Amino acid sequence: MAGEAQISKELIGQLIEGTIDDDNTNRLQRLPRKDQDRFLNYVAVLQSRVSWTDQILLRLGDRLYVVRNAAGQRTVKCDCGHEFGDYRQNWKLGCKVRVRRTLAEMREVYDPAPACPEPGWQEVREFFCPTCAAQHSVEVVAPGYPVVFEMLPDLDKFYRDYLGQPLPDESPDWYADRTEALTQRWAAGATG
Amino acid sequence: MAVVNERKQVIPAQPVSTAPTLRQQVSERDRLTQETGHYYGITELSLRDADPIKYERFYNKLHAAVLAARESARFVAASPGSREMGECLWGITTPEGDTLAVSMGFLSHTAIFPVAIRYMADNDYDVNDGIEDGDVYAVSDGKTGGVPHPGDFYSFTSICHDGEVLGWAVGINHLMENGAPVAGSWATFSVDTFMDGLVCPPMRTGRKLRQESWWKAIWERRTRASTMNILDDKMRLAGCAMINNAAHELLAEFGAAYYKRAIREVIEESRRMIVDNMRALMVPGTYNGCAFRLVKYEGLQNVWSHANKNTLIHVRASVEPNEKGLMLDTEGSSRWGYHSYNATPGGADAAVFLGMINSFAHNTKVTAGIELAVQRHYALGSIYNPDYEFTSNANLWAQTVALNSIGFNAVSRATFARGYMEEAFTVDGNWGAFQGAGTTADGTSYGFTNFEWLGGTGRGAWCYKDGEPLVWAAWSQIATIGDAEEFEACVPPLFYLGRKLLPGYFGYGKYRGGPGNSAVHWCVEPGKHVALTRPNGGLSCTTSVGLGMSGAYPGPGSFMISARGTNLPELIAEGETPRDARELMAQVDSGQLKVESLEIWKTDCPELALHDHDLFVDAAGSSGGWGDPLDRNPALVIQDLNDGVAPDYAFVSNMHGVVATQNATGDWVLDAAATTAKRAALRKARLDDSLPAADWWQQERAKVLAKDVVPEVHEMYSQSLSFAKFDGEFRRFWQVPADFSFSKE
Repeated sequence: MAGEAQISKELIGQLIEGTIDDDNTNRLQRLPRKDQDRFLNYVAVLQSRVSWTDQILLRLGDRLYVVRNAAGQRTVKCDCGHEFGDYRQNWKLGCKVRVRRTLAEMREVYDPAPACPEPGWQEVREFFCPTCAAQHSVEVVAPGYPVVFEMLPDLDKFYRDYLGQPLPDESPDWYADRTEALTQRWAAGATG
Repeated sequence: MAVVNERKQVIPAQPVSTAPTLRQQVSERDRLTQETGHYYGITELSLRDADPIKYERFYNKLHAAVLAARESARFVAASPGSREMGECLWGITTPEGDTLAVSMGFLSHTAIFPVAIRYMADNDYDVNDGIEDGDVYAVSDGKTGGVPHPGDFYSFTSICHDGEVLGWAVGINHLMENGAPVAGSWATFSVDTFMDGLVCPPMRTGRKLRQESWWKAIWERRTRASTMNILDDKMRLAGCAMINNAAHELLAEFGAAYYKRAIREVIEESRRMIVDNMRALMVPGTYNGCAFRLVKYEGLQNVWSHANKNTLIHVRASVEPNEKGLMLDTEGSSRWGYHSYNATPGGADAAVFLGMINSFAHNTKVTAGIELAVQRHYALGSIYNPDYEFTSNANLWAQTVALNSIGFNAVSRATFARGYMEEAFTVDGNWGAFQGAGTTADGTSYGFTNFEWLGGTGRGAWCYKDGEPLVWAAWSQIATIGDAEEFEACVPPLFYLGRKLLPGYFGYGKYRGGPGNSAVHWCVEPGKHVALTRPNGGLSCTTSVGLGMSGAYPGPGSFMISARGTNLPELIAEGETPRDARELMAQVDSGQLKVESLEIWKTDCPELALHDHDLFVDAAGSSGGWGDPLDRNPALVIQDLNDGVAPDYAFVSNMHGVVATQNATGDWVLDAAATTAKRAALRKARLDDSLPAADWWQQERAKVLAKDVVPEVHEMYSQSLSFAKFDGEFRRFWQVPADFSFSKE
């Protein structure tokens, strides 16, 4: 697009590192139209920073990505290399989970004391990478609440319709929540 | 033309109007929009393309009119909430109520304008007994006017030309008091609409841009802050009159034909831009979010026994971009109840569009185009679309701010994934305010709302830096903490003993949220009586939203402390008075501040009567973090310790795995080696103290099957599982038997 700003990979790197200065932040925020090649540059910068070679398809969190692995599967991967499995299943169910239920347990993460959620009505769930212990997510929800699938991307549509660069392994099956396959297995007694 | 009757009197003939009725106009608008997918059937922006300068000049004059209305009218007559803060708005609409332009202020109210107009159209207001230029209508009803809560009051004035309604000028502001049993502007303990105060379905209160005389009596007899409410009424109407005049000048300059076409084109133009923006910023898919709010009425509603219960409100929403823009679906949220937290579709819209306008209408005209792009599903019977016509809406914002946060956070997740990190931040936050009524020593009665903290809260952490304090108000375009001295003047016996940021009060993460605020209100010579309650945009028995961002903790809710019967004069003599909630609690713990009755409120407080030297302390406006707290740069932890932003060393040391020591001057200094070791130990502890999700699931499922939850949670599931979407999700997740139910046995 004519007149579109060019945003360098160096600046994208500064955003990722948290070292970007306020002037540049303001400049980016005030772009009348975003730079359309940002995503591909972003992914390139992210790819250069991870220790593995699986292709990053999308960044889900600070340390969490959807990748295409060597076997051609689209999986969720931690930057430590831990794989959580098929991205269509809620990756939180591949985490280790710590739950804070009592006031004393909640007091360790909320300050001052009156700011703590109320035990019984709420609990604090922390989701860790089983390998590097990165805290990938926190839920503060009612006891018994189904673990929330925060974001299920429609990758085929994104790459084809939004970026104009279709993925080579397109399939209608890619945009479907497959979490139940896991909970069905668990209900049947399997733990993996 | 005239006819002469037998008695030779000249009687003007009823003109045979060719102008469409309001009902016909609405019907035609809907038909054209639905059939073509373009607003009003506008497939070509012919005026814009033929002469873009003329077209933009036309729009700029419209826009200038609403901007000028706000900047003039609030200085003519207004309460401090309207003059000093962002709690007001003016707009101009099409005949059907679709927004053309809005001023600065709380602009999401633009989404509500069509509700009242369509109600008037459906009920033939223009047929019996007619709508003429400059008619003034008062609106504060959620069901018929879409108004979020009756404390937000709307004035609609008609813009007519050649006998045809061509538009509406609208002015809105947040009243200082609206005459409910619970004094103030959010009647926290209302059971139904009959306890919500001055609730007006669209009703004509004036002609020719002048209010009729009786209308003043309503403010004087049905509210407790009539002076300020009358000032605000004049303010709204003054702004509307300016807009009305500007519209007629535009009609004279550009002609009616141009006007009628141009107002359709600007909406279609912005709709296209917004859909394009959504495509440019989002990643398609499904984004889910949740939040909770506790209504703690048990023991407090003995007169209305059907409301004497606690309710845990479940706020659930998903966002899914599509070809038309995006869909926001709230199915699975709680059902409506006999409490003040219910919304109507209009009220829910007022929240949802806070984030949507900010995110997607930043580079185009703010019009009804955004409402066409954001499709909403509010399931019938839910808290967003009650199937009971008399629900209370008095305190809906306390939960609808969470609904906005869920939608807005979906945008943040998308921009983060897309690489536009500069836009991605944690959206949560809550406000604090207090309200009440009193009688001075000379017998003067008054009511009040102090919503100074509505003007500015902490902003949630960005994905690349800490959130800032005070700069953000999710519910207003304009963040300003207002003029404290002015509120003091409005509420005679309450003075600020302290007013500051509250250290440590935010959601923790790699980047922390902006700290919340705290004030200590000191009751001095209250006269015969003063009592207050406190409505909040979320109280600390739940967090502001249910999901943290990228491993951070969501921001905590607000809380209050009442300290009644104190030795404050002794502390004043010593010069050691508390300035915030933390200091007050420390002084109580040390015995310095003696209190006969100390109460900490994490849910709505009932009316609190205050006497000389009683204190009311609030804390609100905190916000959530972003990222794993163990990833925080240790230098930032040290900086927060030394700046007093997060002063509890033991707490932050365990939160961030940072070890520090204090030097001779009291400054904290990092121990890098010990920090590395502590972080490793905390990571090990995470793995040692946690369960594989599969094992956790088995344990939790057993509790679910046993329904081993407190009654409020039990009823919450009973309500949410009555909606198919959440019922399916719940059953799929927990793999419960087909006959499993939370329904009462």
